[in-house]
Amino acid sequence: MHSHDQRPPAYRSASGIELKASYGPEDIPVEHARILGAAPGQPPFHRGGFAQGYRTKPWRIFQLSGFGKPEDENERIKFLLRNGETGFLMEHDRNTADHLYNVDHPDVVARKEDVGLTGAVMQSVRETELCLADLPIESTFGHAGGAVVQHAPFALAAYWTVAKRRGIPLAQLFGTGQSDFFLTYLGCVTKQQVPTAPGLRLNADIIEFCSEHLPKWVPVSIAGYNGGDTGLNAWQELGAVMANAVEYLDEVKRRGRMDMTLAAQRVGGVNFRTTMEIFEDAAKLRAARKMWHKLLTERYGVTDERALRMRIHIVTSGAYMQYQQPFNNIVRGTLMALTAVLGGTQSLGVSGYDEAISIPSEHAHQMAVRIQQILEHETNIPAVTDPLGGSYYVEALTAELERRAWEFVDQLLAQGGFLATLDSGWLHTRARENQESQAIAEARGERKIVGVNCFKEDITPWEVDGFPPVTDAYPVALERLNAVRRERHETAATAAMRDLAATCRDPERNIMPVMMQAVDAEVTIGEIGDIFRQAWGDWQTPKLV
Amino acid sequence: MSSVANESTTATGSPAATEGAPRRILLAKTALDGHWRGISVVARALRDGGFQVILGGMSTGTEIVRAAIDEDVDLVGLNVGGHVEVAERIIGELRAARADLPIFAGGIIAPWAAKRLKALGVEVFPPGSQLDEIVACARRLTGTEPVSG
Repeated sequence: MHSHDQRPPAYRSASGIELKASYGPEDIPVEHARILGAAPGQPPFHRGGFAQGYRTKPWRIFQLSGFGKPEDENERIKFLLRNGETGFLMEHDRNTADHLYNVDHPDVVARKEDVGLTGAVMQSVRETELCLADLPIESTFGHAGGAVVQHAPFALAAYWTVAKRRGIPLAQLFGTGQSDFFLTYLGCVTKQQVPTAPGLRLNADIIEFCSEHLPKWVPVSIAGYNGGDTGLNAWQELGAVMANAVEYLDEVKRRGRMDMTLAAQRVGGVNFRTTMEIFEDAAKLRAARKMWHKLLTERYGVTDERALRMRIHIVTSGAYMQYQQPFNNIVRGTLMALTAVLGGTQSLGVSGYDEAISIPSEHAHQMAVRIQQILEHETNIPAVTDPLGGSYYVEALTAELERRAWEFVDQLLAQGGFLATLDSGWLHTRARENQESQAIAEARGERKIVGVNCFKEDITPWEVDGFPPVTDAYPVALERLNAVRRERHETAATAAMRDLAATCRDPERNIMPVMMQAVDAEVTIGEIGDIFRQAWGDWQTPKLV
Repeated sequence: MSSVANESTTATGSPAATEGAPRRILLAKTALDGHWRGISVVARALRDGGFQVILGGMSTGTEIVRAAIDEDVDLVGLNVGGHVEVAERIIGELRAARADLPIFAGGIIAPWAAKRLKALGVEVFPPGSQLDEIVACARRLTGTEPVSG
């Protein structure tokens, strides 16, 4: 994208791409120009995987939700479904779930008031049953939680066990559990978690288990969002997501038990973020689909078109939601959601306007759903697929993001791959560079944020107080933990734990069947965590500062 | 980030903005929540402001008190990522051990929670706070404000 302009570049996209005052046909690279005419539903799918787009399949309204006791979370999920959410998502307590600790672990007890702050406590399948009470899991796309790699096997097994107990065949279930490396190995690093190699094994086990038993389930969902909100820019996010997919697909291929077409379909449900950078982020989604097609055809020789269509879930950036003048965030949420829809997302969650203050209040959650419903029903945007297609500017951005993202993929692969750059801290350093340059730009006022570093006058500065924490999550969870210990069939639980420990040490066995047994025998997450830690030790968090 | 999230690390920045040895600040996270973006940016700004920053990672009250004493710090910064009651308890433990030690706090702190911390004499920097204000506060609390001319 060369400029005829002689002035120093003053206008850049958020990721640093120099922007011209306007764009023309000469700005679209030859290689990209060749595929401009490909319609939505035609490879390489940058214009969308499906010709009819939202006419036949509206995006899924899919909000992060959860806090307190499982009953509190259940109530909020029902509230969202009543308000028109079309899938539901279970959040787990960060203290216990992310770390695989029970609530009586000393590190949890030391901060017991934090328990349940951002997700419900589910230490055994009993609590998962409470969280899923009366929810139509046989007919609704559900996110079992388990966003964290080491927690996913338990969270998935607990959700599936609840389904089995209700008599729902596993093959009928559709949903996901994410199990994402970006979250706790890059953005929100847990104090203790398994190293990346056993983490990869867990994800490959889940992929294989789902292909056999849950064909409609999205076994893993790579979450570029978590990379983006940590600091990776648009092309770094794209490149890191592709390099992450390479890790999964290479591992499945190495095992040789699964057809690569099927594997590609399993791994092809991916998550990105959108920010206030409207055109670059819409272009990012278009570039992502094109890159996915290229990766699968060229590296893995996949030809089945169904496997070459990337499906995208978007969460609007939490980092772009501001503490000051929080009602402005309703506008920001709307614009970021608009970006996701213009980019052709399949699924969308909008951050609450109180995102920078607390987890969403009921009102903030309802607004997040309403924003999506207004976009769907009042704007007529869904009538036409890829409305930005053919824009000189957006096509040029799509091509440039793709070019830079492939360079980033090459950099990651040259260092041993995505996981190696998490182990070494290289990816964290890239994120930190951007965090710092963004902070400097904000401090200097070069990057303006309304209500934060300009236009700070507000007639009602404290109009939003956030959602008040639930106060009894910890004592109730402790009581339930002790009840499970008292009441469960101890012989069955002990046997399941022994089998789980043996399976951890045998890479040829899939962990999920024994995890299902362990969950059914009411083995708790703290016990599962102890087994994992004994088998695999802890990830050596890279040094950064 | 381990240094931010998990382990203790000492990082020295440019020479102190004022005369004498650089003042030392312990930054610690009160919650088992490893988001490190905020504390990383603040640590960098404080180092650029001439402070020596010790990163305590995700710490309990006992660990924060021990680090504050062992490292002989002049100021403690709490990154509050959880319930305000946890921060209040840690502040109580710090005051019991070293009553003279100033404390400031940052993070996702709702307005109602910020009021409670301010009532304890703790300065609060929620999201969107300007870095130069945080550095100025650190100078004020450590008595190292530049001599006004």
